[in-house]
Amino acid sequence: MGKHFHKEKIEMKKTTTPKYFYHHLDRRNFIKVTGSTALITGAPAILTGLTRVAHAAKPNVVRMLMTAPTMIPGDWSKFEEETGIKVEFEVMKDDVGLFLNEVLVNDAGDRFDVISALAGSEQELIDGEAIIPVETAQMPNWGGMTDDLKKIPYFIGDTNRPDGTVWGTPLAMNADSFGYQSKILGEPLPPEEVSWSLVFDDERTMGKSATGTYVYYFSECATYLKGAGLADIKNPASMTPKESEVVADYLIERKKAGQFRSWHTTFDDQVQLIKNNEVLAIRCWEPAVKEAQKAGMTDFHYATAKEGYMKWMHGCYIPTQAKDRGTHEASYTLMNWILSGGYAAAISPLRGYVSGRPDLGAQYAKQNGLGDDVSVAIEEAQAKLVNKFSHEDFWFIAVPEYLEDMQGQMDRVLAS
Amino acid sequence: MEILSSKVFILKVTSMDLKKYNRYPIVLFALSWLALVILPLLVVVMMSFLKTKGIRIKWDWGFYSYMKMIQFGGNDVVFQTIRIGLTVTLINFLIAFPFAFWLAKTLKNISFKLIIFTALTVPFFLSPVSRVIVWRSILGLDGLLNNFFLNIGLVDQPIEWLIFSEFAVHLGLMAQYFPSMVWPLYLSLSLIDDETIEASLDLGAGILRTTIYVILPLALPGVVAGVIFCLVPMLGDAVIPQQMGGGNILTISHSLSNYIGSRSYVLGAAIASIVLLVLIILIIILWFVFKPYGGLGKVFGQMRQ
Repeated sequence: MGKHFHKEKIEMKKTTTPKYFYHHLDRRNFIKVTGSTALITGAPAILTGLTRVAHAAKPNVVRMLMTAPTMIPGDWSKFEEETGIKVEFEVMKDDVGLFLNEVLVNDAGDRFDVISALAGSEQELIDGEAIIPVETAQMPNWGGMTDDLKKIPYFIGDTNRPDGTVWGTPLAMNADSFGYQSKILGEPLPPEEVSWSLVFDDERTMGKSATGTYVYYFSECATYLKGAGLADIKNPASMTPKESEVVADYLIERKKAGQFRSWHTTFDDQVQLIKNNEVLAIRCWEPAVKEAQKAGMTDFHYATAKEGYMKWMHGCYIPTQAKDRGTHEASYTLMNWILSGGYAAAISPLRGYVSGRPDLGAQYAKQNGLGDDVSVAIEEAQAKLVNKFSHEDFWFIAVPEYLEDMQGQMDRVLAS
Repeated sequence: MEILSSKVFILKVTSMDLKKYNRYPIVLFALSWLALVILPLLVVVMMSFLKTKGIRIKWDWGFYSYMKMIQFGGNDVVFQTIRIGLTVTLINFLIAFPFAFWLAKTLKNISFKLIIFTALTVPFFLSPVSRVIVWRSILGLDGLLNNFFLNIGLVDQPIEWLIFSEFAVHLGLMAQYFPSMVWPLYLSLSLIDDETIEASLDLGAGILRTTIYVILPLALPGVVAGVIFCLVPMLGDAVIPQQMGGGNILTISHSLSNYIGSRSYVLGAAIASIVLLVLIILIIILWFVFKPYGGLGKVFGQMRQ
C-alpha cells in the first residue's frame, strides 16, 4: 500500500502542478533571484554613485559641468601645463529643467568644482544657495573685461536690487538669430541687417522656413512683432499671459497659412534641415550654419537681425560645496583660464561664440601663429559684442515669471 | 475505499502544500509592484491636483492643471494622439493579419520563414532615432522618392507632404509597430488546428466566413495582444511624431516633455494622468468586448487547449 500510495502521490502532482513550477517557485528561490537581479541591474548605478563622490575629492583635478556647445573638445594639455591642474568635464543636455534638477535636487555641487549655468537660471541657484559669490580679485583676467560685460544681468544677482555682488564669470555668449539662404532670397550678406520676417512672414519662404519647439523661441517671434510694430510687448524674454496669447495667435495664423516647413527640437534637426535643402530660412544656433558652410553651403549665412536677438551667456559659477570642501581655489584657476586667450581663440572659430575676453583671444592667436581664420573669427566676435549685443532686445531668461503660460501657448501653437 | 481516501488525502495535502509555497512569492511580488509601479503612478496623479512654483510644490489642491491643460489645447493633443494610435493600429492589423496567416499556415519553406523573422527583428537592434531618421533621406524634398518622381516626370515639383506631415507620422508609426502586431498574431494563428480550417471550408463556408467565424475567434488572444503591443507604446512614442511630423503634429509624449522641460510639472502630471485614464478605459472596453466570450481569461485560456 505504501508503494501504491507513493505512486499515486507523484501522479497527483503531475496532473495538478507542472513539475518545474513546483520545484522552482518557492520563496527562497524567489527572493534569491529577485535579490541577485536587483544587485546586478543596480550595480552600475551604485558604482557610479560611489565613483561620483570619489571624483570630486581627487587632488589637482578640477571638474566642470557644462553643455556641449560651450565645451572645447580635445586637448586641454595647455591648461594643465600652465596651471598644474587636470581638468575633467561632464557634458549635459542644454535643458533648464534638467539642469536645475541636477544642481538643486541632485546636489551636482558635490561632484563638480565649477558649474556652467544655463543663461538666466542663475537667480534660482542664488535663491537655492547652490552657488557662492566670486572674489573677482582671484581672477586677474576679470579686470580687463568691458564694463558692459561685468554688468550683464546674469552676474549681478537680483537685477532689481543690485548690490554689487558678483556671482559668476562669462563662459561663452552669443546673440542668436537665424540662418538664411542669401543667394536664393536675394538678401544682403552680414553684417547688413535682414528681418526676422524671413522666418515668420514672407512669401519667398512660405513653406520653406522653420523655427523650434523650444519655448524660448517664442520670444523671438515676440521680438519680431515688437520690432515690426505688430504687437505691444514690453519684454519678449518674460511675457505676460496676455502677451503670450497674442504671439501664439499670430504663430497659429502663420502656421495655418503654411509658413513653416518644420519645428525642430535638436541641433541635429537644424543641421539636417539646412543640409537637405528643406528650408531657406531657419531659426537656429550659429554652429548649425557653420556646419552647413563646412559642408559646402557657402550661401547660407547667420543673420544680422533687424529687430533683435536672443542674447544669452552661459557663465561659470562656484558651487557652495566646493568652498565647503576647499576646492574653490582650483575653481578660480579654471574660471580665470576660461577668461584667457586660449579659450577665446578656440571657442570663436569653433562655434562663433564670444568669450569674456575676445581681446586676449586676438593676442593669443597672434602670439601662437594660429592662422588667419582664427584671427578673423575673433575679430568678428569682437564686432559682435559691439553691434549685436548693443540691441535692446533681449537678454534670455531661463525662468521667466510666466514660463508656464509661455510653454502652454507654445503647445497651443504646436497643437493647432 | 482506502485507496480513494488516500488519494483524497494526497490531493488535500498536496494542494495545501502548494498554497503555502505559492503565497509568499506572490505577496512579495505584489508588494514590489505596489511600491515600484502603483505608488509612483498615484504620486503623479496626486501631483496633477497640486500647484508648483519652479521646483517647489505648493499644497494648493484643485483642478488648476487640468483647466490650464484644456486652455492650452491639451485635450486636442490627447484626442489627436489617440486618433492616430487607433488608426495606425487598425491599418497595421488589416495588413498584419493576412501576412501573419500566410507566415503561419501557408509558407512552408523554413529558410524563407527565418529570413522573414530576421527582417522583422533586426531593425530593433538599432535605436529608434536611427531607424526613423533614414526616412528623411527617402521622403524629403531632396530625397530618393521625390527625385525618382521628378525623374520619371510624375510630378514637376517635389511632393512636400511626404515628410513633416500627418501622413509621414502614420507611415513611421506603421513601420515601427508592424512587427509588434505580426508576432502575437503569428503565434496565435500557428496554434489553430489546420483541420479546423479545412473542416469549415469543406462544410461550405467560404474564405470570408471561415475567417470571420472560425479563424478570428480562435486568433482572438493574438489580436488582443497585438492591439495592446501596438497601441499602448504608440501613445507614448516621442521619436516618430517629432522626427516624421517635424513638430507639426504634437503628441502626448512631446507635450509632456515640453512641460517637464519648462518645469510645469503639474501640467505634465495632468497629461500623464489623462494617459493613465485612457489606458484604464481601454482595459474596461476590452473587458466588456470579451464578456460574451466568457471574459479575457477564457479567451486566453483556450490557447492552452
